[in-house]
Amino acid sequence: MLLQIAEPGQSKVKEACKPRVVGIDLGTTNSLVAHVADEAPAVISGEGGPLVPSVVHYQSDGGVLVGRRAQAKALEAPRDTLASVKRLIGRGAKDLASVRALLPYELEGDDRAVTMRVAGNRTVSPIEVSAEVLRELKARAEASLGGPIEGVVITVPAYFDDAQRQATRDAGRLAGLEVMRLLAEPTAAALAYGLDRGTAGTYAVFDLGGGTFDISILKLVDGVFEVKATGGDSALGGDDLDRSLATAILGEAGIPLAATRTDEATLAAAQRRLIASAVAEARRVKEALTDAPEATFSLASDLTGGRTIARKVTRADLTAWAQPLLDRTGKACRRVLKDAELTRDVLDGVILVGGSTRSPVVRDYVAELFGKTPLSDLDPEQVVALGAAVQADVLAGGRRDVTLLDVVPLSLGIEMMGGVVEKLIHRNTTIPTGATQTFTTYADNQTGFDIHVLQGERETADTCRSLARFTLKGVPPMIAGMGRVEITFLVDADGLLKVMAKELTTGKEASIEVKPTYGLSDEEVEQMLIDSFEYAEEDLVKRNLAVERIEADRILAATRQAFVTDSQLLDAEVRAAGEAAMEKLEAAVAGDDYLAIRHAIEGLDHATKPFAQIRMNRAIAAQFQGVALEEAARKVGA
Amino acid sequence: MASPSISDRPERPASARPPAADAFALLGLTPAFDVDVAALEKAFFERSKEVHPDRFASAPAAERVVALSRSRALNDAYQVLKKPISRAEYLLAQAGVTIGDNERLDPAALMPILEERELLADAIGAKHLAEVGRLQAAMQATRARELERVRDGFARGDLAVVKHALILLRYVERYLEACDAALDEE
Repeated sequence: MLLQIAEPGQSKVKEACKPRVVGIDLGTTNSLVAHVADEAPAVISGEGGPLVPSVVHYQSDGGVLVGRRAQAKALEAPRDTLASVKRLIGRGAKDLASVRALLPYELEGDDRAVTMRVAGNRTVSPIEVSAEVLRELKARAEASLGGPIEGVVITVPAYFDDAQRQATRDAGRLAGLEVMRLLAEPTAAALAYGLDRGTAGTYAVFDLGGGTFDISILKLVDGVFEVKATGGDSALGGDDLDRSLATAILGEAGIPLAATRTDEATLAAAQRRLIASAVAEARRVKEALTDAPEATFSLASDLTGGRTIARKVTRADLTAWAQPLLDRTGKACRRVLKDAELTRDVLDGVILVGGSTRSPVVRDYVAELFGKTPLSDLDPEQVVALGAAVQADVLAGGRRDVTLLDVVPLSLGIEMMGGVVEKLIHRNTTIPTGATQTFTTYADNQTGFDIHVLQGERETADTCRSLARFTLKGVPPMIAGMGRVEITFLVDADGLLKVMAKELTTGKEASIEVKPTYGLSDEEVEQMLIDSFEYAEEDLVKRNLAVERIEADRILAATRQAFVTDSQLLDAEVRAAGEAAMEKLEAAVAGDDYLAIRHAIEGLDHATKPFAQIRMNRAIAAQFQGVALEEAARKVGA
Repeated sequence: MASPSISDRPERPASARPPAADAFALLGLTPAFDVDVAALEKAFFERSKEVHPDRFASAPAAERVVALSRSRALNDAYQVLKKPISRAEYLLAQAGVTIGDNERLDPAALMPILEERELLADAIGAKHLAEVGRLQAAMQATRARELERVRDGFARGDLAVVKHALILLRYVERYLEACDAALDEE
């Protein structure tokens, strides 16, 4: 909409075409979807309640089960029942060496991405498995809201790197969803808390899920949610606790759980069943200890090769087994406090998020770590989805009193000679942001620059994650140190990075939109969509046409309104160009070529750009003139 | 790695990032080293509400572009001004005084910190964390003292003093980073 500063007359336009959008928490263990109906967000329930287990079962006839029905197959067909794939998404085989030992299904693939072989000799990727879960949630939301979902905000762990984010985005696209934003899970939780409780101040959000851990510090003031620092471990969660518990108990009984597995050999069916059952039993015991002081871990003799196991487990046992994992969270928390330049005493509270924070063992640890009783009055398993729904509403032009200031979770830089990383944007910088730096040539007569874009905190390129590479060619031959190239990093509000390089003596330029090399290309996603039975090519065209028409109507209405309201800011030339562009757009909307509509929208945008600029300037000037002078007067001389 | 004569990686940075255009003006403040941090944050939040791209997510592309570049400029300005060292470097640059990458101090001024570095290296080598903690605290006192000199230099308009202190502070910051890294290992 043309300059969306709330003006009473415009609300009708907005309500009339408020898009149907939702927030999705795509979890390691469970997923759920929420929506903002009037003011407050609410979770959307379906069969078995709001939580959909993030489990997908592949049948030999090609059928797919998702959620509870898939979970029910976990013990009888562990190899074809994929759980916890969030731990695998955007990860290569090398990253997963430690996780792999305790998965009841097989991983294949290389250092960029893994796949799983399931029933019917079918190969699926973590992206495709996640897309199945998302499709289930989409179907739920569409049934409940009575129409197609037009946009979605999907949450990701704050500490997910670019590859993991891109893969999650691809899963959304594959499920036929328009992903408006990926939102950090702790930020989403803070959003839900802030709005629900009118919370204000500085808070730590401790988010321990099934397979990921995040810690974020946020400041909440008057509708602004500023992330001060974020950190964590994208491979640490309740799953790990289940596995330590299972490994410890079976270890006591002299039954090795993971050790029998050699690198490439496939697991014996019995071993696979043992892993699946022992981990499931460990989870049951862990959950039982939330309410009871002790519980019994038992496994039948046919699973263990002849010995029945019945081991009484106390909270003290659980605490002892959990300690190494808890210590890892503690270390991340201390680092984030340091990054935020805060001490724990100045925090107004600690918010608990994620199913794993239900455990008293975790709660006690957090209470001691921060020196205060943590808050959990909003359901820690729902709060992330609720926050995502709010942000979806904001992005769809609904809610206007919320501003999220998010950060880059990991530093961004380029590789220099010798493999050293020069960081251009440091972690915890508020986005959108940008940075420019000039570099010199290393060798005489060097005619090109290899630009290798990296993400991470370490000092050398081989220990950071590679995001993209490109080459700036055509540098005139000069002696070493004379050639100069200016490199600019731009990060938008989505956290997407664009890198530009410019040779300063010739003005030659090259640039790249960074898409991790292991993400899917647009063509691949389009093709997968076309291939899947749910989306015939025809449907895709129809869907695109509907989306573009809605967008066109919205822009036409807003532009007309602005031309009337602010006609005094409009010079004749811009008015004529704008009106011509509007006519063109109307003509395109009458036709059925979605690309023509998209081009006409771009044309109108271009024609009204000078007008938009003037309106924006005026609105900002009006907002701040008085304030600025007053504040400045107070502050000089200090 | 590619052959150096054909196509190669950039070498070391030739210049640091240039300061954001008119950072104080973007936040409605008068340029000064002493800034009321709470007021700075308030100004940042108020302005962010108006220009943040999320407010324009469903706006035409032209407005999204404008909002994005303004929001980026605002964030970068805040980033520079909120911390005293980068704020001082910015003010110094605005006054036309630059600090080069290989700027040297006279050995006498540098000697104490170089000696401290050796002590730190020894303590880290011996995994003597209590000693690292003690050295860290001592260096933080040095940092506070040098920042006081920066303040004093600005107050008296003596930019040479400011520059000297800022160069020293670069060594101090690196030293403190090394302390953090060592204590993080634990």
